[in-house]
Amino acid sequence: MKRRKFLILGSVFGLSSSLMGKNNNIVFSKSLKSVEKTIQSVQQHLFPEGSKIPSARSLNATQFLLETITHLSYDKDIRLFVIEGAEELESREKGKFTVLSEKEKERALRSYEETHYGSNWLSRIMTLTMEGMFSDPIYGSNVKEAGWKALGSYGGLPRPTTRYIKL
Amino acid sequence: MTSRKYDVVIVGSGASGGAVAYTLCKAGYKVAVLEKGRLIKRDEFSKDELAYARRDIVTPNLFEEYHTIEEKVEGKWVATPTYESGWSFWNGNIVGGSSNLMSGMLHRMHPDDFRLKSKYGEIKGANIVDWPISYEEMEPYYALAEELVGITGKYEKHPYEPPRSTPDFPQPPTKENVVVKLIDKSCRALDIVPLVTPRAVLSQDKGHRNACYYSNFCGSYGCSSGAKGSSREALLKPALATGNLTLMSNTYVKYLHAGKKDEVEYAMVVDTVTGKEKKISAKMFVVAAQAHESARLLLNSSNKHHPHGLANSSGELGKNLIFSAGGSGQGELHKESLKAIKFEELMTTGLFVNRSILDWYFIDHWWDGKFKGGSVEFMFEHQNIISRANKNNEEDGKLVWGKVLGERLVERFRESKSIRFEIFNDWLPNDDCFVALDKTHKDKYGMPVGKLRVEAHPQDVKVGKYIAKKCEKVLEEMGAKHIYSSISSAPPQNLVAGGCRFGEDPKTSVLNKYCQSHDVSNLFVADASFMPTGGSVPYTWTIYANAFRVGDHIVEQLNKG
Repeated sequence: MKRRKFLILGSVFGLSSSLMGKNNNIVFSKSLKSVEKTIQSVQQHLFPEGSKIPSARSLNATQFLLETITHLSYDKDIRLFVIEGAEELESREKGKFTVLSEKEKERALRSYEETHYGSNWLSRIMTLTMEGMFSDPIYGSNVKEAGWKALGSYGGLPRPTTRYIKL
Repeated sequence: MTSRKYDVVIVGSGASGGAVAYTLCKAGYKVAVLEKGRLIKRDEFSKDELAYARRDIVTPNLFEEYHTIEEKVEGKWVATPTYESGWSFWNGNIVGGSSNLMSGMLHRMHPDDFRLKSKYGEIKGANIVDWPISYEEMEPYYALAEELVGITGKYEKHPYEPPRSTPDFPQPPTKENVVVKLIDKSCRALDIVPLVTPRAVLSQDKGHRNACYYSNFCGSYGCSSGAKGSSREALLKPALATGNLTLMSNTYVKYLHAGKKDEVEYAMVVDTVTGKEKKISAKMFVVAAQAHESARLLLNSSNKHHPHGLANSSGELGKNLIFSAGGSGQGELHKESLKAIKFEELMTTGLFVNRSILDWYFIDHWWDGKFKGGSVEFMFEHQNIISRANKNNEEDGKLVWGKVLGERLVERFRESKSIRFEIFNDWLPNDDCFVALDKTHKDKYGMPVGKLRVEAHPQDVKVGKYIAKKCEKVLEEMGAKHIYSSISSAPPQNLVAGGCRFGEDPKTSVLNKYCQSHDVSNLFVADASFMPTGGSVPYTWTIYANAFRVGDHIVEQLNKG
């Protein structure tokens, strides 16, 4: 499966020329800003308060996600996919996803998951959230090792002193 | 600018490049090692999962440097660039190469691996040949690698354990998790002989290298004590100490220039930081860039004297690329059903599972028949936390999220531990597994990328499945739950060899028995490219051993002047 085809499949917008245009930094930042609340809301639904693992909110998971996908090491196609998938979710929910009740959010996300595209997107958001939650605290999300403590599993020594082996 | 101060230029600083550099520098010759990647020193390594295991930080960005991979789709060969698929064929592009990142489970090849065709006959569709050298010629170098690289273990007699010239390993095995008691007990109950896995990790201090500190994150990571027998720690550091080695990191080799028909004159290189090009000349050149990249470099070095690629009068360059066949399997040991050992001890982190099985290396069974089998390694599931968490977020094809996910992860991490096996069997060389130059795709330096066709022979999967069934029985006996195995014909990109076969006949091989080009006398290929067949063990020990052998031969030639 080719990556671009994989990302585009089933999308209303497609990985379109307009989106490709977003791959310049200014347009990209603007697009990202416009979907930030949607992504935050999805992350919080996947990792809520009251669970045996810390919530997305308590670990600043959205901040981690935004910093991660804008980092040089992150795949440019996938960062576009992250934005477009959020736009598509809002499009399906008529721009009201963030204000839906928990029950309605569950319905909306399970329904989105029924599509191949939505399933891939949700899986990507979950991975990006877990990456923050269980990576070294230096990346800003695994606050006071709360993610590691919940699982009783800790990163090895020595710990990184900079992000992404910046030497 | 052309510099002429080196006796030998080596392209690549991994296991083989390091072994040749060590040998030459110790013999007093001036060597330049050219490494595309950067230098990460021992004290700069960390156990940063995000950086080392989840991003292209120690390998090139696939949009800048990549391969195209040819697979058969509905009867036709379709090439997909790896920047499309995300399927990287790079392995540790840093000083010391992928030996920095190995988990270090090593075995010698068996004497019969050197004469597979004579011993087991031809297999239709497979290009099996005997090696031009015997195990006896390689053995002293296996022993040398054991000493210099620091391979630890415990010799136990076994019908398929190759003979050795020294009584035992230079150091005892690394410390072991209590799970080995359960493995040993279960194997014996099934009439299987478990063996201690030789491992390129020091259990005791050795010179400038400190013993293993059991970090729990070994494979995929650089070592922070120097215990792992990487080329960088074990060979390049001592080579640098001789004063004879010039280590040039961030140096990409575009091609080797052979202005005369039988002699390479210089390597054309690019500084990957400044983009500046220069020529580096020497008396001899050693290519050690990892099998698929070494063949690519020689193909990219074609000129009027060598229209089909350097050292390719046979037409064999790039052909008979091999990987390691087999696959892996896994089962979960649960707290409430654990037998024979204590759960708290099982959960102790960092200690190794040094266990292998060689019982099925050669099969000669009244019902199953006579054929070449393979080896098995046991290990815990990799301890990477993000990847383990991410593996447990699905049920019946649906994502699990919310509080259910939290409960599931906590239970999975705190109440069980997964034990794995990996099977290594021969990847039979065949006409549909090779590397060539892609006609349209070029890397960021303007050089054609390698196009890899990666088809496996059907026998490979058959053998893998045969062994997997036996391994699943071991896990069952251990009381593991949710046992599964996955045997496929997909190539493991970190276990690659072949493409520059060695042999006696210049018409059918690229290199002679010393891994010297039949065509170009001052050109050697020292990495796993030379292997016509790969044996049924990880390649690394053989790569180290053979490169020491090649190094000795180059020293002899240089001594003769």
